[in-house]
Amino acid sequence: MLAALPYNQHMDTAIEVDGLRKSFGPTVALDGMTFTIRPGQVTGFVGPNGAGKTTTMRVILGLDAPDAGTALVGGRRYATLRHPLTHLGSLLDASALQPSRTARSHLLWLARSQGLSPARVDEVIEQSGLDKVARRRAGGFSLGMRQRLGIAAAMLGDPPVLMMDEPFNGMDPEGIVWMRGFLRSLAGAGRAVLVSSHLMSELEDTADHLVIVGRGKVIADTSVAGLLAAASGDRALLRTADPDRAAMVLEHAGASVTVTGVGLLTVTGLDTGQISTLLAGQVVPFSELSAHRATLEEAYLGLTQDAVEYRAEYPGGSGPPGSGVSPGGGVPPRAGTTGARP
Amino acid sequence: MTAALRAEWTKLRTSPGTTWLLLAVVALTVAVSAAAAASARCPAAGCGQDPGKISLTGVDLGQAAVAIAAVLAVSTEYSTGMIRTTLAAMPGRVTVLAAKTAVVAALILGAGALAAGGSLLAGWLILPGHGFTRAHGFAPLTLADGAVLRATAGSVLYLALIALLSLGAATAVRDSAVAIGLVLGVLYLLPIVAGVIHNATAQRHLLQAAPMTAGLDIQATTGLRSLPLTPWQGLGVLAAWAAGALLAGGLLLRFRDAG
Amino acid sequence: MTATQAPPQHSAVAERDSFACTLRAEWTKFRTVRGWVIGLTVAALVTVLVGLLSAAGSMSSCNGRPCHFRYPVGPGGEAVTDTFYFVHRPLVGNGTITAQVTSLTGLLPTATSGRVRAGQSPQSGMRPGLEPWSKGGLIVKANTTQGSAYAAVMVTGGHGVRMQYDYTQDIAGPPGRPTPASPRWLRLTRAGDMITGYASTDGTHWTEVGTATLPGLPATVQVGLFATSPALTVTTAQGLLGTSGTGGPTLASTAFGQVRLRGAAPAAWTGTQLGTGTVDVAPAMAGGYHQAGDTFRVTGSGDIAPDAPGGAGPGQPLDHTLVGAFAGLIAVVVVATMFVTAEYRRGLIRTTFTASPRRGQVLAAKAIVIAAVSFAAGLVAAAIAIPLNSHVLRANGNYLYPANLLTVARIAAGTAGLLAVAAVLALALGAMLRRSAIAITVVVVAIILPFLVAVTNLLSPGADDWLMRLVPAAGFAVQQAIPNYPQVSNACTVASGCYPLAPWAGFAVLCAWAAAALALAVFLVRRRDA
Repeated sequence: MLAALPYNQHMDTAIEVDGLRKSFGPTVALDGMTFTIRPGQVTGFVGPNGAGKTTTMRVILGLDAPDAGTALVGGRRYATLRHPLTHLGSLLDASALQPSRTARSHLLWLARSQGLSPARVDEVIEQSGLDKVARRRAGGFSLGMRQRLGIAAAMLGDPPVLMMDEPFNGMDPEGIVWMRGFLRSLAGAGRAVLVSSHLMSELEDTADHLVIVGRGKVIADTSVAGLLAAASGDRALLRTADPDRAAMVLEHAGASVTVTGVGLLTVTGLDTGQISTLLAGQVVPFSELSAHRATLEEAYLGLTQDAVEYRAEYPGGSGPPGSGVSPGGGVPPRAGTTGARP
Repeated sequence: MTAALRAEWTKLRTSPGTTWLLLAVVALTVAVSAAAAASARCPAAGCGQDPGKISLTGVDLGQAAVAIAAVLAVSTEYSTGMIRTTLAAMPGRVTVLAAKTAVVAALILGAGALAAGGSLLAGWLILPGHGFTRAHGFAPLTLADGAVLRATAGSVLYLALIALLSLGAATAVRDSAVAIGLVLGVLYLLPIVAGVIHNATAQRHLLQAAPMTAGLDIQATTGLRSLPLTPWQGLGVLAAWAAGALLAGGLLLRFRDAG
Repeated sequence: MTATQAPPQHSAVAERDSFACTLRAEWTKFRTVRGWVIGLTVAALVTVLVGLLSAAGSMSSCNGRPCHFRYPVGPGGEAVTDTFYFVHRPLVGNGTITAQVTSLTGLLPTATSGRVRAGQSPQSGMRPGLEPWSKGGLIVKANTTQGSAYAAVMVTGGHGVRMQYDYTQDIAGPPGRPTPASPRWLRLTRAGDMITGYASTDGTHWTEVGTATLPGLPATVQVGLFATSPALTVTTAQGLLGTSGTGGPTLASTAFGQVRLRGAAPAAWTGTQLGTGTVDVAPAMAGGYHQAGDTFRVTGSGDIAPDAPGGAGPGQPLDHTLVGAFAGLIAVVVVATMFVTAEYRRGLIRTTFTASPRRGQVLAAKAIVIAAVSFAAGLVAAAIAIPLNSHVLRANGNYLYPANLLTVARIAAGTAGLLAVAAVLALALGAMLRRSAIAITVVVVAIILPFLVAVTNLLSPGADDWLMRLVPAAGFAVQQAIPNYPQVSNACTVASGCYPLAPWAGFAVLCAWAAAALALAVFLVRRRDA
């Protein structure tokens, strides 16, 4: 487990992106992307494939020049930073390695480019758990080892800001758990962490804040708790042996009830405390009453269904889960959304 | 085999680089041939020059573009990792190599025909104005002349053989940079060394064995007796080189891990 | 409104510091890829080996037996041809010789003049004509040994009056050829070590042509008249086996009148043929002279000139030991291209630009690293190849023109420099094109193909000349062991080691190409998305 490295710089905003626009020929990749990343938390950068996440990161790093807008790291453009890896550590593509070079040599040249010593390289190797494979050719690394090497490279300069593009890709469950803990510890130490992903389930227990993008724009910029609360809505799931009476009681109290299965009711409009009081008062037996907690995935899918670029056909004619499209049509009840900040 | 041929043909014709490289073969060959023809002079009869060879000089440069095209046809598969997909789809490795060879050879024969034809045309247009006339003992350059026909058709075959040589080398070595370095070295270095060696016998042997000089013997339309090899023998030497390269590449492809 | 500026020296230090870091990183990148290090070692090895193979194959023999040439060496250490007919007498101390030259005529070889039947004079079958550098005039020579110091003033077949001394020095005088109607007067004055040449059209008004200082000239020297005419070398563009065509020894005949010698000249005039022994190098015909009072007619063949490649002698310049540089160059170009294209192929270039956002500095650092290692490889290779291959060439009976230490150092450093600059050119093209195969081919073709074309006589000599001045291949001029002497009648072709440009001028052409390519590469790399 990587120990949290103490960080020694404080900034109000770590990364500021303002009004970025970029087109690759006829394709519009960024269409006014604006957000801010703050220290001390893990920010998830999520969106469907093709939403502009990687392009935004490349613009932040000065790899691509935007057509309009600015991207600042610690208040300055990346290209003007001296020893930039000590300001912002990034992992864009773990496979960007020369296969015939050893892992240690890869970290060594990076260290030299920032004026860091070989001792620092060995430190970072140990902390990422690569000490057994450090002198092996990088071409022979498995995907997980390459990811760890990429993280070691990102940590080399001990930067206060970290940016990673889909770091969970290809990790096994143990690796995912490790990564989650690692990212949280970085944020806990006061660093700013930006993690992009298109898989919400990965970020569920990792991210504190979310920037949701689609079609080159920010759709939502909110805390995870806020998003979940909005998506969950006031819905409860009730399992009872006497659904008719339960429905009557609850509808009488003003809730709307739908039958979602044998002995299963979905109640909207009352919280679980009120429901259990009402049912107990009328002596309606029930075996399970739970507040419906939307998963981050459902919330996200609800938000982004309009922004998806590449959508596959779902078997049975239904849409993706959470979108509320069921076979046979019908207008889905809209989950609560927060407005997108311009 | 038919399926493999169709697959390889589709691969090559849908890669935009192929078209550019084939165009480059034709353009470079004709341009250099025209330049050589424009700088040639025959002031009087008995000037001892070979108009057929002069007007086909462009092949010296065109072969470099041919080599690139053939090397890339193989090594881009390795550099992108597509070789794994190819071999998963068509596990018969020798068949794959044979199909690739056939398709590349066909393409180069086509481009080579255009290149040689264009060069000959340039020579036919330019050389008479520089003293290569009947008065000085030179017949006009037409394909009706047996020697000229052999030189032109031979040049087309030469280019195809260079493609095969490069293909074999690339299959053996797999890396495009090293493969092209080897092919260019073998082609261009040996004649330079031959030019420097002072011993007439050693020089002659080197010129007989080197692929470029032996192969280009096919272009000679005059002075055949002073050549180290007869035209067809020379082309045969190049064919031997190409066969050797393909054999080496084929064996390595067959018995090595796919890479 | 005032603009705020960072304190200048702080940012300058920061720039230097970050460039030093980038340089260090690029060096680490290079040395940690085993394949590239091996590639450069291979480059050094093939440079030596190809030269070795070429030397091993170059066996010279004279009719099946090893050759034993007597090679005269001039005062400056260079190999010379010293073959002429000398009508002379000894001169003790200072003196002056004056003569009127009434004609200079000559004979040139024809297709049939080489085949002479027994009993026929060697001159039968030759046609009248003058080789442009045929010479006749007055000469002061230390002694009659070939290669000894001399100073001469002369008329030439096509270059007017000239003063030449110590083989390599040539001063132009008044133009024109002497005829009985308009003769030329020549005078040589010796004062100690200094010899001054004069020319006149009427015998009264003299113009000084030039002065020569011959250090260590003995008190007694040989002074007199001479005639000589170099072999005719006709370059017709031929096939790969070199030039063949009409060529052969020529003859020049000079008519002198009113020959006066002032000074202590104890003995009478004698005629001596210098050179043309059976073991001599340059083919020449025997000369002779007729005397009638103070009128002489001197006939001679040969030349008084430095041995140059492409001339009549079978010697080889030291360049041939480094013919392997072509092979080494290809290997260096491959490695240099891969040094940059490998990063593009793997996407590693993004990591590099993330670590060092100043892209121009990254390219500059890469260029410095690859140039330095290529230079080192080339220097090591040259340091081994020159002595080793010279030894093998000599052991095989070849004659290598002597070269002094400075020239050898220049050839070695120049070859190393060739590899280094070619590497930078390849790096720049690789960064521009991002595809290794095309970049390598372009560099190899640009550097080697013109050389190949020149060596195999594919283009006419005029086009060759033009080509070798402009293309990157001009850089090979730095390997030129023997300079191109304009006063020597030789076929100056690349095949024989003669280049149109002076060594460092040719190298500068190559450097200009590399610099332009690098500048373009930096421009493109900065503009492009990574």
